[in-house]
Amino acid sequence: MNDLTNLLSRRTFLSHTGVGLGSVALSSLMQGNVQADALAHHAAKAKRVIFLCMAGGPSHLETFDYRPKLAEMDGQPMPESFTAGQPIAQLQGKELKCQGPLAKFGRYGQSGQEISDFLPWHHKLADDIAIIRSMVTEQINHDPAHTFMNTGTAISGRPSMGSWVNYGLGSESSDLPGFVVMTSVGGRNPQPIASRQWDAGFLPSRYQGVELNASGDPVHYLSNPPGVTSSQQRQLIDAVNKLNAHRNSAVSNPEINTRIAAYEMAFRMQSSVPELVDMSDEPQYILDMYGAVPGDGSYASNCLMARRLAERGVRFIHLYHRGWDHHGDLVRYMNICCGLTDKPTWALLTDLKQRGMLDDTLIIWGGEFGRTPMFQGKGGIGRDHHIKGFSMWMAGGGVKGGVTHGSTDDLGYNAVEDVVHVRDLHATMLHLLGIDHRRFSVPYQGLDMRLTGVEESRVLQNILV
Amino acid sequence: MRCVFSAIALLTALVVPPVDAGEVEFNRDIRPLLSDRCFACHGPDETHREADLRLDVEEAAKEWSIIAGEPDESELIARITSEDPDLRMPPADTDKSLSSEEIDLLTQWIAEGATYQPFWAYVAPQRHDVPSVDNTEWPINWIDYFILDRLTSEGLEPSSEADRVTLIRRLSFDLVGLPPTPQEVAEFTEDDSDQAYEQLVDRLLDSPHYGERMAMYWLDLVRYADTVGYHGDQDHAISPYRDYVINAFNENISFDRFTREQLAGDLVEGSGIEQKIASGYNRLLQTSHEGGVQPKEYLAIYAADRVRNVSSVWLGATMGCCQCHDHKFDPFTMKDFYSMAAFFADVDEAQHFKVGGNSLPTNRPPELELPTDEQSQLLEELDKQIAEAEAQLKEANDETKGPIEEQVKELKSKRDTVKRSIRRTMITVALEEPRTMRVLPRGNWLDDSGPIVEPAVPEFMGTIEADRATRLDLANWFTDPDDGAGLLTARVMVNRLWYLCFGSGLAGDLDDFGGQGEPPVHPELLDNLAVEFVDSGWDIKHMLKLIMMSRTYRQQSLDAPESREHDPNNRLYARQSRFRIPAESVRDAALSISGLLVNGSSGESIRPYQPAGYYRHLNFPTRTYTADSDERQWRRGVYMHWQRQFLHPMLKAFDAPSREECTAQRPRSNTPLAALTLLNDPTFVEASRAFASRVLAEAEESTDARLDFLFETALSRTPDETERTVLTDLLSNNWSHFEQDPDAAERLLGVGLTARNETTDPVELAAWTTVARAVLNLNETITRN
Repeated sequence: MNDLTNLLSRRTFLSHTGVGLGSVALSSLMQGNVQADALAHHAAKAKRVIFLCMAGGPSHLETFDYRPKLAEMDGQPMPESFTAGQPIAQLQGKELKCQGPLAKFGRYGQSGQEISDFLPWHHKLADDIAIIRSMVTEQINHDPAHTFMNTGTAISGRPSMGSWVNYGLGSESSDLPGFVVMTSVGGRNPQPIASRQWDAGFLPSRYQGVELNASGDPVHYLSNPPGVTSSQQRQLIDAVNKLNAHRNSAVSNPEINTRIAAYEMAFRMQSSVPELVDMSDEPQYILDMYGAVPGDGSYASNCLMARRLAERGVRFIHLYHRGWDHHGDLVRYMNICCGLTDKPTWALLTDLKQRGMLDDTLIIWGGEFGRTPMFQGKGGIGRDHHIKGFSMWMAGGGVKGGVTHGSTDDLGYNAVEDVVHVRDLHATMLHLLGIDHRRFSVPYQGLDMRLTGVEESRVLQNILV
Repeated sequence: MRCVFSAIALLTALVVPPVDAGEVEFNRDIRPLLSDRCFACHGPDETHREADLRLDVEEAAKEWSIIAGEPDESELIARITSEDPDLRMPPADTDKSLSSEEIDLLTQWIAEGATYQPFWAYVAPQRHDVPSVDNTEWPINWIDYFILDRLTSEGLEPSSEADRVTLIRRLSFDLVGLPPTPQEVAEFTEDDSDQAYEQLVDRLLDSPHYGERMAMYWLDLVRYADTVGYHGDQDHAISPYRDYVINAFNENISFDRFTREQLAGDLVEGSGIEQKIASGYNRLLQTSHEGGVQPKEYLAIYAADRVRNVSSVWLGATMGCCQCHDHKFDPFTMKDFYSMAAFFADVDEAQHFKVGGNSLPTNRPPELELPTDEQSQLLEELDKQIAEAEAQLKEANDETKGPIEEQVKELKSKRDTVKRSIRRTMITVALEEPRTMRVLPRGNWLDDSGPIVEPAVPEFMGTIEADRATRLDLANWFTDPDDGAGLLTARVMVNRLWYLCFGSGLAGDLDDFGGQGEPPVHPELLDNLAVEFVDSGWDIKHMLKLIMMSRTYRQQSLDAPESREHDPNNRLYARQSRFRIPAESVRDAALSISGLLVNGSSGESIRPYQPAGYYRHLNFPTRTYTADSDERQWRRGVYMHWQRQFLHPMLKAFDAPSREECTAQRPRSNTPLAALTLLNDPTFVEASRAFASRVLAEAEESTDARLDFLFETALSRTPDETERTVLTDLLSNNWSHFEQDPDAAERLLGVGLTARNETTDPVELAAWTTVARAVLNLNETITRN
């Protein structure tokens, strides 16, 4: 095959598989280099991302944002200057009064970052993480807020950030998907999470997130049918591939070559995924460190799995814990949810660090929004959804540890200093991965679509190493 | 999928030589350039216009930026060629640039007089003369003249006609979404008459499966699904709408009526049950039943959702952009957006905020009850009995009262049970007082400062004369070729019908007929098809038949090296296309080939086998999926339960959309997950077993005869020697394997609910099941050529 034919068959391949590539990625695809760093605007600090999503919206006021003034105002009416004309969720039409912090805070690490007592293991991470206390988002209900956090818009059909990252950088793994999603059991009545949250949107579907299931087949239809051995399955795939190749000698259809490759990859996944999920090679002290019972679907087990995925070159690992919607009985549920997630999160960072992987793994922790400084009493003291100010943190992969970025007002309502919009978070994440968010676009319906959209967004320079 | 084509355009630019001197045409060569590189800042959007310059309007552009005939005097050329980075256009920070060829093109265009043309999509199509061609033997109908003329001018030749087997497979997949049976293939290939092909087209158009196949496409456009989409993604009652669509295609009701019934079935004259069911179109959008949604916010979200869909389906327009600002590339304004939304301000949609809740199915009144005759009779009978018992109760004394009360209670609970089992469907009911619709500044629903708008069509497209225009007026406007958007609608729709017949549209972007969409490769042909569609009385079957009768459609799909080089994406149709069949058809083909397929054209959505725990992320309420254990298990994919948040993994693996938004064109991926699905999904394993059972029962006993049967049933041909050898090896290896492990054979044969023929030898059946799996996994089985 000469170069031109090669190029042309690639082209046919592209059109047949519905692949549309940005011009940057395209140039390297033409060099035949689909997988490895297809796109790099500048040197990357991070190679991969682990996104720890605390779905439901953890309270910033009981984790990373201590507001003494709110304690003083406890029980008093929330000043209308804060709330008038603002979006509100379940507290619509209710009396709005201040709810003081329900946690003690202390200063930890050499940096002296303020962290609540709900998160004792985070105290040990104080010097590793950059706490952002000035997050804002635009969506006040869970489902659209997740969509916003993941895609930069609340409109369905846009790619998730994990798909964007894989589209831009390719996967480093030849036998695992580049974007893996896990959800964890345990906690409060769990938040629903739509598969839209890891959809590839208008990007080719091979960039969509693949769910790794804790029970049943780890990936849908991964197991051979009952009664069929691995060698029989291999024979079957060989036969299918031989017949397809034979047919192709007559019809010369590049799509058939792609299908043959897909069947090969499918077979490899049938062994690589079970190998991945088999944690029997993990020593006891590692299991203890995470508090993990392998494969039980817990957040602890999933954190350990996240490390295994990171080791195998998976580009974007998205982990959901679904118990954080604390409209009522907040203290009890904070105890439960922090109890399930605090230590494993510490273990994940510590384990990556001891393997020298924290330097090139970006960790992001947070929910789709925060919670109101106002009281809600849906079965005990709680808080409603809140989008005007909340906390997240980032660590590893080029992020400076031990810094606090931005702040909310005295009552923890509005982010007022160094406000960080979701798209700023995206811009920063992409920056650390070596991608300039402004130049990372795909034409769709006449627009140059970006993860960060059309509004101005900025990289958080002062939390970078 | 605009991304697809822009990548293609980029690639094509490398091979196709630039346009020859003297041939610059604004719509084809210049507008796409200006639109993509300049209009974002110098286009229709007033609020973001830079330097008070707009290039989309001729007079404005020629005020000072463009001096016709004088490129050297034109500021536009000076700026795009400037060496000074501060002056150079497009600005570096937009990441847009113009190549030297593109600059030459713009220069040449200005030198030639900088002629503007009205935008193609908004110019009313008219019938063009059929071009004359030298090879008058080739064309069958007028479509072919347009195609051949262009091919000839590009120095290309059309492909020869496909063989008959390919033709019947192609027509069957395109028109009914199923492979032909060996009998159908034999009948067609053995029929030497001149009418054989036309009769086949007619037979397939008359098949009840035709409506199912067309519905697969229409339901994507209108985003039909069985669940609400947001948050708890509860089920809602809508499946009768799906049946309406299938019937409408089968009965070939005219597209203008189809439009009216869906948008305004409640308002049309003589509105009956069918029309009310059709009006469910207005209820197909995603809704949220999350505790704590603010109705005002969600009514704004719903309004925007409807505008996006209706403009995409009927106008091929991307009006969604105008929710927050005037369109960057097309002449749609924010006011147009909210005026379009105002047509739907009378749709009673707010009830679910009060009664929606987390039940399964949820309540989204207004709904229509559709009792069967049996259910109606039963209810009547029960009502009578209740009335009698209650009458007795009035007469009863303290002693006799008890048992009668008991009886009334029992009857009422029986009545409730019957009531609950009645099929329901969401319909449109017009509110007496439509909601007030305002322009929302920057799309912000909290901002009430925008002006109130009345229902109106996009201003640049005309007006509807009425005190307050209704959804019915809108539907009529969409299909009015004289005073409405009828000819645009016709163009949009025929382009999609063409896509169904060729795998690509004459205009490449099926959902963007705006400035950023690809202009049609055969504008005159598209015009003529649009006019024909209107003149035929909006007759879809007529249009499909017209296209399918053409020589162009009948070409083979193999690509010759020269056309691959010159036209790698086959935009000029020098051959037919080959592509993997849609997700539903992948399922349907396996069921049909194996003999498991159960026909039936209506009913509640069906639930095939699905991996356990797949719905574990759903909540409010938590969900348990129970696969159907009756004949519904083997019905076609178009009837499958469409769970927006967790679409069946098989459908998803083959690119069926979640139907949250309008989908005019599905991607066609080819992934390991799809391979795993075909290999291991119980539906396909069971189909393989049933297929193998058919082989053993229906074919002659020899291995060769059995392989013939397998191939003829699945691929409409017999295997060659190589294929025989590969499959015979696979058979014998598996046979000996299962002989040594008969339990394993039993386990494999235990997949699926269909009863197994106990008289067959399990080892033999398991070995043939493996061979059948191989055949169902072949590329050829799921490819339309």
